[in-house]
Amino acid sequence: MLAVAQGDLDAFDQIVLRHQELAWRIALRFLGDRHEAEDVAQEAFLRILDAASRYKPTAAFSTYLSRVVTRLCLDHARKKHPATTDSLPAVQDNNPSAAEQMAVLDRDRTIRAALDGLPPAQRMVVVLRYFEGLDCRSVASAMDTTVKAVERLLARARDTLQPLLAELSEK
Amino acid sequence: MRCRKVRLTIDAYVSAGLGPRDRTAVEEHLEACDGCRQAATVARRLVALGQALPTPPVPEGFAERVMTLARRRIARPAPAAPSWSLAAWWRMASAPVRAAAAAVLVIGLASGVLMGWSTWQAQAAPPTQTAVQPDPLASYNVGYLTDAPEGSLAQTYLALVSSAQEGK
Repeated sequence: MLAVAQGDLDAFDQIVLRHQELAWRIALRFLGDRHEAEDVAQEAFLRILDAASRYKPTAAFSTYLSRVVTRLCLDHARKKHPATTDSLPAVQDNNPSAAEQMAVLDRDRTIRAALDGLPPAQRMVVVLRYFEGLDCRSVASAMDTTVKAVERLLARARDTLQPLLAELSEK
Repeated sequence: MRCRKVRLTIDAYVSAGLGPRDRTAVEEHLEACDGCRQAATVARRLVALGQALPTPPVPEGFAERVMTLARRRIARPAPAAPSWSLAAWWRMASAPVRAAAAAVLVIGLASGVLMGWSTWQAQAAPPTQTAVQPDPLASYNVGYLTDAPEGSLAQTYLALVSSAQEGK
């Protein structure tokens, strides 16, 4: 990032290649739409490029990137209430049967619908905590809030998602 | 440990992020509380679900598209930006810094209002009366009645007149 601040675009290219998956994953799991997720992930990197001269390496770059993507996702959700759109991409097993693929698609649709039903802040903590595997402190850092606030959001989200888990168990 | 606290720390418990003492307290609570035990089960299942979900592949050409946009942005002349703006600082500041700044502002405003209030009150208070009160009897020119005996109608009248004047 220090090199990027000096105008080194090759360094920026390396950063994008190394961290694109993280930005894309958070955006897609939160927004549920591939096109919107790509726009948000792209914008996150461009915002980081714009702010390169002000960047201070006080935390891991992945934490910084998570924070930028999170903020853009939440801003996007506030501007537009997301409808249930694409489901999460299915796993391409080596020899998936049609029934297995349908089951996976059905599961993904169920998860997507449940996530879309959550308020944006709860949806984001679920994505960061359960899908990205961040601990509560890292989630709080990414969302620029406190650990207690994250714990409260997770508690509410769990209560809402409990029926989802019951539904997935039945399938 | 109460249910409310257990529900808030359930994720830390599930991910083995609690210290030994807190962990023991949560486990003791879970043995006795069905609701919280259910919440812990939900948390574990959500963790497992998240781990089982596939990692969506990055769209092909994503990095190239970002770099194309980055080169255009670098080539575009940047608009003159202020060296510092309050809005930008507020956006970049962390939650504790924002809370501290808001607290300083509120305390400063409250101090100013209190100081202004006490100054206004002091200015609005009426001046103390230092002028010598005139003799109430003199205004009625009834001095000749002062020689009347105690308990007489004249003395009663004088008392009434005097009290009326003092009451004004």
